[in-house]
Amino acid sequence: MIRTNKVCRHYIRGPQIIKAVDEVSLAIEEQEFVAVVGSSGSGKSTLLNLLAGLDSPTAGSIEFRGTTLNNLSRRGLSQYRAKSVGIMFQSFNLIYHRTALENVELALYFNGGSRGERRTQATSILERLGLADRMGHRPADLSGGEQQRVALARALVKKPALLFADEPTGNLDQDNATQIMALLSDLNRQGLTIVIVTHDLEIAGEYAHRMVRMHYGRLVDHQSEGHGGEA
Amino acid sequence: MTFRDLVAISAGNLSRMKLRTFLTVSGVVIAIGTFVAMVSFGAGNQKYISEQYEELGLFSTLQVHRLSKTAAGDSTQARPLDQQALNELSKIPGVRLAYPFDAMTVTAALADSQLSAKAQALPLSAMQTRLFSQFRAGHSFSSDSAKEVVVTPQLLHLFGLTHPDSLIGDTMVISIRVATIDSGLAGLIPRDSGWIRQQVRAIQFDSLLQSAYRQRQAKRLTNEAISRFVNGFFEHRAIVKETLTVVGVLEERGAGRTRMEPIVLPVAIAAKFRSSGLSDDPSALFTAFSQGTVFSLDSAASSRSYPQITLDIDPNVPLKAISDSVRAMGFEPFSFAQMFEEMQKFFFYFNLALSVVGLIALVTASLGIVNTMVMSILERRREIGVLKSLGADDRHIRILFLVESGVIGAVGSVVGILVGWGVTRIASVIIKQFMMKSGVGPIELFALPLWLILTAVAVGIVVSVAAGYYPASRAAKVDPVEALRNE
Ligand SMILES: Nc1ncnc2c1ncn2[C@@H]1O[C@H](COP(=O)(O)OP(=O)(O)OP(=O)(O)O)[C@@H](O)[C@H]1O
Ligand SMILES: [Mg+2]
Repeated sequence: MIRTNKVCRHYIRGPQIIKAVDEVSLAIEEQEFVAVVGSSGSGKSTLLNLLAGLDSPTAGSIEFRGTTLNNLSRRGLSQYRAKSVGIMFQSFNLIYHRTALENVELALYFNGGSRGERRTQATSILERLGLADRMGHRPADLSGGEQQRVALARALVKKPALLFADEPTGNLDQDNATQIMALLSDLNRQGLTIVIVTHDLEIAGEYAHRMVRMHYGRLVDHQSEGHGGEA
Repeated sequence: MTFRDLVAISAGNLSRMKLRTFLTVSGVVIAIGTFVAMVSFGAGNQKYISEQYEELGLFSTLQVHRLSKTAAGDSTQARPLDQQALNELSKIPGVRLAYPFDAMTVTAALADSQLSAKAQALPLSAMQTRLFSQFRAGHSFSSDSAKEVVVTPQLLHLFGLTHPDSLIGDTMVISIRVATIDSGLAGLIPRDSGWIRQQVRAIQFDSLLQSAYRQRQAKRLTNEAISRFVNGFFEHRAIVKETLTVVGVLEERGAGRTRMEPIVLPVAIAAKFRSSGLSDDPSALFTAFSQGTVFSLDSAASSRSYPQITLDIDPNVPLKAISDSVRAMGFEPFSFAQMFEEMQKFFFYFNLALSVVGLIALVTASLGIVNTMVMSILERRREIGVLKSLGADDRHIRILFLVESGVIGAVGSVVGILVGWGVTRIASVIIKQFMMKSGVGPIELFALPLWLILTAVAVGIVVSVAAGYYPASRAAKVDPVEALRNE
């Protein structure tokens, strides 16, 4: 579904070249659940941003369903993010002055569709994630777990083909983490391709089909089997 | 993302930052308010003048003068504005009426005061044109031969009167001292018989046989006769008197717009003064001599020339066509409409100068907008990152911020117009009171025409959006990866 070919993301800082992602070749199939693991600073987030079209590689290429992202214009890349990709962050990144419902609706602004459609779709996804009575709340009035579920709703509302989650459980306690991972697992079973970044090997091992490990920007080995698929 | 969404989002953002938005909008309000108040003053003056022009019928008036000699040594005599000219001018298509400016000096007596003043004759048809339609009191005379008179406020002033109404119905005696041919001839007649004897004795009859002596004697006698005629002309003047009723006081008109004497007489009355002889003015006599009309006073009217002829024209006929015809006849046309066009040009620059003051305020306000927007972007970097991660492209972000500054501009302009208008209302009341105190009628010096409202809104929005352009471009360039990185 999405594959990278020797993709690089180098930063030039004065005389120094920081190889945040270096020659990573990775293929993710439809309906896979992949966990990217590695120590801090190993380039996991950078790789995820490249895959999600938030960042552009300095070398190598990324191909999504036959389209090479490198060849897309900035606008084309925005469309890729708007239509095909859902993204979650460790710190949720909800807009604090908007209600849960408004935050979710925001994801539909760049997808066409009327006000009414946006409202129905946002409402229905929030209801599905058990937030029916939290829709009018602002992020500050929600618990961490609820905030992450709102963020998940926002990522899912446009029915993306791919879901990227950067440390989705990083700011959550055990219970909430389990809850979110269970939700992701469910969604994956319903056909959603998921790539998460985590340094929690336990979580990665439990839910993902496959783990990829990064070390200093490079992919070190493909630890192919997780338990996610059998749970 | 529809425009409505954009406006809703930016309105939401602005209302969240109430104090800051209020201050920024206030800047725009003050700027637009100043702009509106300033230009409103220019527009008000312009409106007042064009209304005056319209009311006074100046747009439908064309003045005809003799051709002023342009090139030195131009031998061709300028064509006089005489009866024939009048006839020709009145036949130009589009000319509804042609009448001369026909003035004379008279003595006007009102109750027991009397003074010398200029009078002019106007046909009733001219009185009925727009140019003379405004009366301060009373009305026009009823016919061309009515024993009635219309005066201007200038005459009131001459007589030291203040209330025009009090004059209506009063009797005014107009008189003119005229020198007639009779008075001239009377001068020729010797006053005593001694003079004849003296003359006869002075002639040396024997010398009459010499032709040189004859000629000298004839010259002497002729010279003496002429001097007697001229002296008699001025010394034995008759007084022609008419007792008229004052029926109207015309409205004051701006100086220099139209030539207007303080006393306006019906033509038949004026003609009576004219046909009675030559006026007090010695130049009239010399004119009569040079034109050879001293002894043909009854036909004087046909050969008399006027300083100016006024045409009342059909405003639907192109002014240029009429002016061209007048010029082709060898006269100089002068139209107020053309002068008005010049005036419009002046007002264009006048308004421009006034609006510059408002625009300077607007520049200051736009700096406020830039500041607000830059602050807002710094605060909302993460939000911009989120929007980009959700699929917003640079254009969306830019538009979002431009709409935000546009909303500031729109709200600021609308409120600014109201504030500016309010200021002009207050100023107007104060100025009018001042005018009343100093005896001038209250004149509205401010106007808020639709074009000013639309211009103010457009200028407010355009300047605000322009001010928002740099911040918006900065916002559009925010790198989502950086904006979303965990701190
Ligand atoms: N804008 C940048 N300029 C310079 N170096 C950068 C920039 N962004 C990231 N890096 C570097 O790239 C490397 C990879 O960063 P990245 O955020 O991808 O790591 P990570 O694996 O996600 O770490 P963590 O687990 O702490 O989130 C790091 O060494 C980081 O310092
Ligand atoms: Mg990271």
